[in-house]
Amino acid sequence: MTDITLPKPRSELGEIFHHLIRDPLGLAGLIIVTLIVASALFAPWIAPYDPIALNIPDRLQSPNPAHLMGSDQLGRDTFSRVIWGGRVALQVALPTIAGAIAVGLILGMIAGYGPKWLDSLIVLFFDTVRSFPTVMFALAVVALVGPSLNTVILVIMVTSIPTYGRVVRTLTQSLKEAEFITAEKSLGASTARIMGIHIVPNVLGPLAVLAAMDIPTVVGLEAGLSFLGMGVKPPTPSWGSLLNDGYNLIRNTPWLIVAGGIPLILTTLGFTFLGEALRDVVDPKLRGKGGK
Amino acid sequence: MTGRNISWTRVDMPRRAFLKGATMLGMASVAGLSLPRAAFASGGTLKTRTYADIRSMDPAFSQGVVDEEIQAAIYNKLIQYKPGREWGWQPDAAAMIEQVDDTHINFALRDDIGFTNGFGAMTAEDVKFSFERIIDDALESTNKPDWGPLDHVKVTGERTGTIVLKNAFQPLWSITLPYIAGNIVSKAAFDSVGGKIDTQPVATSGPYLHAGWEPKQKTTLKRNPDWKGEPVAYDEIQIFHIDDEKAAEIAFEAGELDFTRVSLDSVERLKSSPIEGATLEEYPSLYYAWVGMNLDNPKLQNHKLRQAIQYAIDVPSIMAGAYFGAAEPSTGIIAPGLPGHREASLTGTSADLEKAQALMAESGETNVSLTIDVLNKSANVTAAQIIQANLAAIGIALEIRLHEGATFWELGSNEDLELVMNRFSMTPDPYYATSWFITEQAGIWNWERFRNEEFDKLHLAAQSESDQAKRAAMYARAQDLMEESGAYKFITHESTPVIYRNSVVPALRPDGLPLYRYFGAA
Repeated sequence: MTDITLPKPRSELGEIFHHLIRDPLGLAGLIIVTLIVASALFAPWIAPYDPIALNIPDRLQSPNPAHLMGSDQLGRDTFSRVIWGGRVALQVALPTIAGAIAVGLILGMIAGYGPKWLDSLIVLFFDTVRSFPTVMFALAVVALVGPSLNTVILVIMVTSIPTYGRVVRTLTQSLKEAEFITAEKSLGASTARIMGIHIVPNVLGPLAVLAAMDIPTVVGLEAGLSFLGMGVKPPTPSWGSLLNDGYNLIRNTPWLIVAGGIPLILTTLGFTFLGEALRDVVDPKLRGKGGK
Repeated sequence: MTGRNISWTRVDMPRRAFLKGATMLGMASVAGLSLPRAAFASGGTLKTRTYADIRSMDPAFSQGVVDEEIQAAIYNKLIQYKPGREWGWQPDAAAMIEQVDDTHINFALRDDIGFTNGFGAMTAEDVKFSFERIIDDALESTNKPDWGPLDHVKVTGERTGTIVLKNAFQPLWSITLPYIAGNIVSKAAFDSVGGKIDTQPVATSGPYLHAGWEPKQKTTLKRNPDWKGEPVAYDEIQIFHIDDEKAAEIAFEAGELDFTRVSLDSVERLKSSPIEGATLEEYPSLYYAWVGMNLDNPKLQNHKLRQAIQYAIDVPSIMAGAYFGAAEPSTGIIAPGLPGHREASLTGTSADLEKAQALMAESGETNVSLTIDVLNKSANVTAAQIIQANLAAIGIALEIRLHEGATFWELGSNEDLELVMNRFSMTPDPYYATSWFITEQAGIWNWERFRNEEFDKLHLAAQSESDQAKRAAMYARAQDLMEESGAYKFITHESTPVIYRNSVVPALRPDGLPLYRYFGAA
């Protein structure tokens, strides 16, 4: 009889990581996202200048060794503002997505698992929120209460809740009819236990995919509001306000538009690649087909 | 910068000479001695641009330069602004106009001006109707203040009459007769539509006809075939509504416009890389921009604190960063060339940090945090960030609050307002500037809630003062009072850079605003 040595099984996260780095797009996404997150986290050490320090005599410089991406109309170093702008983008995107997932998860599970009337009520709430065009809703709220980072986070979070809530509701509805849930019920498991132990772990995967795909949307929305002067307050650097300055000065210098646009493009590509690769990993049917 | 100073040619004259001049000018016109004009080519279409859509074609409700640019071409006034680098006027519908004393102005109309759509010749009754309806409380005209102390217009003949004032009113020749409130409309035409119109004129009399208006798109003027005055140069003028100056510049470069104002930050580029076949010219502007402080706000009760803010703001930095060196610091609300302009402000233009810090220490205030409300326009936002940095240097944390136009222009009634970056338009008489800062205007247009009895008295007295030196001194003192209150830091009068194709001979006011009826073709 021959001994067979079985490979040591990987953890679930290890499995996901393994699949990600084997997928070229997944790897590219992972690298880009890591770079963006790292530059935002370590902005104080990476940025060569204070992003809000004025130096008017050096205004509107083209890229040069002292200012890698040039300078804006107030002589501020554009590269430093891009790096710090990434921090603002993530400051908006992460709590927004986390908050929307948390609220969407709870409401979605209640709607999917609870009585019909409660389901209808929650779905009505989702539909009501979704019926407002996000940008218009954001503009209206910001116009009423004034622009600030917190306002932007709150507005985008509220408008994102239905996206997550609806996914969770659908998954919960299909899970609650599954045999293992029926068995748990017959053994007298409480609703809280069923939701916490069985349903939450099963919906988190799809939510993670959705979140990864949503981050560029949120970053873009923040940039859009800041472009319109409705996002973060000056002089806080943001990719949107860089774009706005660039738009106003496009005939004088193209570098501000380039500097504001590149990180937005990279963020969109990075998170989209990562999200798609994650979706392939999470969905076993796609995994078997190489994710395609 | 060349050609920045402007002067009002008539008001600089001694009163006697002025009266004589006014009469002589009118007589010259009667005798057929028209003013020298360049010989222009004729025909074709002039494509130009306005920054906002029209609001009203009724002079009683006209909202300023946007409406007036069109009204000045389709209506007639007794006198019109004279194009050029110096403020002045020239006769239009008046064959003769004469100020006989402080409160009486005689006029005689030309006999060759008629209204369109069969509303007949222009008569003195039309003049009476046009002027008196604006001061009629029942009409609630927004332009009533422009007519100041008008009592009535006495009709003495079919085409002659006398404007009777309650008291002397110096701005009459600079902002009443040649501007919005001076437009003459047809009484019969207005009567036929119930006494009021909106965006569609019923009858016009000027050298151009109002041929069409596409909301948010353009207004089209066409040559009036019945016009008997000096021939106009163009068959058609198309005035496109293009809010964004950058978009207008692109349109100009693409050949879609023949004349437009350009943004201040483009001046340097257009000078270093001129557009072929086009000319860039810079005109001084009358607008005034300033930082105001709400005197009613509990956080701004400390006079030393307000003074510290005045001395901390570095206006030259704002000129460089926000206005790209294309504007000069101002000393008050009255631009150079107008009576009352001050050569220097009390607090200077460059920041005096030492003094500002000393004033902060004297104020006893610590951990001061304030807000500044700003209209969301590039220059304002940039200026606010410079001010923010200036105040940070004396320990004041300034939060910038951006507003769109609709919310910004409602801020005047907000009692919690702290600092505000503001900008008002202006006409070529100091009366128009001080009008907004009297006690009566507190919380309306006087957002600083500046209340000063001496200022109010000066404003009232100066409008009637015929001695120009005395009048100028009064307005200078009025601005001193504003600045001494600590509620104002004056920033700039900006400037008006315009660009036009060399095939066009522009006719502009000294502040760079167009007078389309006088535009020529090269």
